[in-house]
Amino acid sequence: MKVSRVGFISALIYTGLSIVLAGAFFVATLLGNYNWLTRLGGAGWVFLLSMIILMPVVTPLIKKRVQSR
Amino acid sequence: MTEDKHMKKTTLSIGGMTCAACVGHVEKALKDTRGVKGTVVNLATGKASVEYDPAETSLSTIKKAVDEIGYEVILNTANLQVTGMTCASCVDHVQKAVSELPGVYRVVANLASSSARVEYEPQITSIGEIIKTIREVGYEAVERSEGAEALDREKEARDRDIKRQRNNLIISGTLGVLVMLGMFQPYWFPDLLPVWLNDNMKVVLFILTTPIVFGPGRQFFVNSWNGLKRGLTDMNLLYATGIGAAYGIAVINTFWPEAGFGGKDVTFYEAAAMLTAFIILGRYLEAITRGRTSQAIRRLMKLQPKRAKVLRDGQETDIPAEEVQIGDILLVRPGEAIPVDGRVTDGYSSVDQSMITGESIPVEKKTGDDVIGGTINKTGAFKFQATRVGKDTALAQIIKLVEDAQTTKAPIQKLADKVAGHFILGVHMVALIVFLFWFFAGYGLWFVPESRLILTPYTLTGLGVFGFALLTSVTVLVISCPCAVGLATPSAIMAGSGKAAEYGILFKGADAMEGTARLQAIIFDKTGTLTKGEPSVTDVITAGELAENEVLRLAAVAEKNSEHPLGEAIVSGARERGLELADAAGFNAIPGQGVEVQLDGRTILLGNRKLMADRNVSLDKLVGEAERLEHEGKTAMFVAVGGKPAGIVAVADTLKETSARAVEELHRMGIQVAMITGDNRRTAEAIARQVGIDRVLAEVLPEDKANEVKKLQAEGLRVAMVGDGINDAPALAQADVGIAIGSGTDVAKETGHVILVKDDLMDVVAALQVGRQTLRLIKQNLFWAFGYNTVTIPIGAGLLYPFVAQMVSPELAALLMATSSLSVTLNTLRMRGYVPPIRRKDIDFGEGHIHTVARVPQTSA
Repeated sequence: MKVSRVGFISALIYTGLSIVLAGAFFVATLLGNYNWLTRLGGAGWVFLLSMIILMPVVTPLIKKRVQSR
Repeated sequence: MTEDKHMKKTTLSIGGMTCAACVGHVEKALKDTRGVKGTVVNLATGKASVEYDPAETSLSTIKKAVDEIGYEVILNTANLQVTGMTCASCVDHVQKAVSELPGVYRVVANLASSSARVEYEPQITSIGEIIKTIREVGYEAVERSEGAEALDREKEARDRDIKRQRNNLIISGTLGVLVMLGMFQPYWFPDLLPVWLNDNMKVVLFILTTPIVFGPGRQFFVNSWNGLKRGLTDMNLLYATGIGAAYGIAVINTFWPEAGFGGKDVTFYEAAAMLTAFIILGRYLEAITRGRTSQAIRRLMKLQPKRAKVLRDGQETDIPAEEVQIGDILLVRPGEAIPVDGRVTDGYSSVDQSMITGESIPVEKKTGDDVIGGTINKTGAFKFQATRVGKDTALAQIIKLVEDAQTTKAPIQKLADKVAGHFILGVHMVALIVFLFWFFAGYGLWFVPESRLILTPYTLTGLGVFGFALLTSVTVLVISCPCAVGLATPSAIMAGSGKAAEYGILFKGADAMEGTARLQAIIFDKTGTLTKGEPSVTDVITAGELAENEVLRLAAVAEKNSEHPLGEAIVSGARERGLELADAAGFNAIPGQGVEVQLDGRTILLGNRKLMADRNVSLDKLVGEAERLEHEGKTAMFVAVGGKPAGIVAVADTLKETSARAVEELHRMGIQVAMITGDNRRTAEAIARQVGIDRVLAEVLPEDKANEVKKLQAEGLRVAMVGDGINDAPALAQADVGIAIGSGTDVAKETGHVILVKDDLMDVVAALQVGRQTLRLIKQNLFWAFGYNTVTIPIGAGLLYPFVAQMVSPELAALLMATSSLSVTLNTLRMRGYVPPIRRKDIDFGEGHIHTVARVPQTSA
């Protein structure tokens, strides 16, 4: 029960943060002279790397918090 | 340290670990398992040492925890012939009884074939216990095989891995070269191919690359996904992102060239293909070479005999060695291996023990002598009674000790572990930063359309901002190499501890090995360590009338019935010289003075000055000699015959043959050497002078030895104590490194961090030399591993691009990465040929003496 809850909360957080970062990237590209596909491709890559970076960081943090309650 | 008696400790073989991050994952999974109190995982050995509470967890739970995160606990498999099963419930009985054993993971009994296949961990439950359990529930069981696969289970697992990677390499290498040729065909041989093929070249490359990415490359995606599902990252993720990005861009630009990722000319098929091929090449070579670093322990394992000839009811029966029971009488013929430890009951032979003790010369064995399992009987046949079997044999203890040592971590590894633990995450963060930098700033500032990938004619003309930033980002992911960081220390520890074991030097842990390498001072216990521990006759001086042998003979006659150690030394000294000892009459022991006897009507006195003075024997001529002998630390006893002085017999505890040479060598290595003893200062200093020790800790009570060690440590020295593993236990424990010498084969009982099987001080020197060589290797490996990443990651990130307009391609990055981890392993492999200088043949030790020393024991691998 606890495990699935940790997984769900963690996924919400790291996916949400990754979307925010990818969105920030996309918005930043709007200030420059980039075509749409470059913007989308770049945002996709930023999203992927952000997910990879945040997953192992967020999951243990949430697990710790849930277990300490 | 307090020890919970309920806790159990076992070492498991873990498959599938490829880098330091894997170690972290397995450790974490084990630590998170309920009932597991502690664990240490070693990448180089592929083993995990697990301390657990059997009341709270089981082997199945532990295995499940490891298997679930994508690794594998490699278990032994036993095929048993089970007779007596007649129905399905029999099968159930066998399965139930065996599955309840703590070390059994799975058992499948088969009624039709009268067999049972058991997956089990032999460190927890032996095959003998499994067979016994089956017999207890009413069936007969024997091992179906010769036990060969049990012995070689690790080799088989490694061979499987090597075979798998070799097949992957053949596929990815062959197709990868074709992709490479196809990719660069327009530059290298533009007119070779027909037009229709040229026009569809990208599709052909897609067809060639796809099987590589989803065949041999599939393992990276599967493994990284398994890890990511649990919030874990490892090397596979770096590869998967690198290969996936290169392949994805290539596919988009092939089928949707207008998508804006650089167009039809910008495909990275060769990057995806060669990246996969090079990573697999690295894994393949690493699988081969890593196995070789553990050959020393495998050589020990191979020594374990599989069969034994037991005499039961007067009949010679050939049985598996594992089934030998304590008390069994076994027969060994010339050339055969001794199956278990025991004591000779009948016969005479010489036995080659070099593989266990490092002694080069075969040891004679007669009735009452102990023999060691795994050693080779050379000349005669003999019978012996088994005294230790299974996991209690000397060989099994040594293997366990070395294996345990190999699963520990050296203090120097802490930094490497810290770095490796966060490496993958750090590299992905760098890759993101690099991508953002080149996307928003670098590309606009420095991009030159004519720029190239290093060592290729391939220009980056068609690359847009996204393609270029992605290329650098992927290169960073691929070029980084945490494998080298993770392998640097454990591979060297494994090679070093195995090498040491070849010489009968057993390090109890990696910390002991590192500690030995860093020693600054060594304290030797005197009696039994520097000296033989038994007094013997050193000098016989005659007063003039009688010959030396006659003086000794008369002294021995006087002491013939004595039980005093000095008297026994005189008697055995006389017997060694072949002197006949007649029976004397009127034996009279005078307490504190000596003895008096009658022989052929003469009175013979043997004793100290007081005895001679009381009997009015004038010692004028002998006093000077006596003082000289006493100054040398010897006990001088006067001999008088018929009231006249006849001579002196001096007795002393003599130095071992190698003590002085060992001390000299230690001094040469810059080690301070001290001697500790309970003897009076004069005797102690005399011994110290002979052996070349300048620091003497004399008149120290046994219980104060540890305090003396503390005093030296307080001077800021890293101190080793060398002594008897049992009597000197507190001092050995207090020392930074306790070296128990001459433990023989009962190594498990020994205190101390380092155990020397032989009673030879040269092994103390050899231990230091092996320790120092191992530490040297570790430092070289760490320097290379950290140096490689420090240099290549910035280059991969495009640091040099603004100056040279060339980029590292992902496939070149993969090649560099593979070379890096391979170089660390190859550097460690140098330990295989290492012979401690003190053990090399014909070494001149600086005084013009040529010493021939023990050969290196070699057994067939």
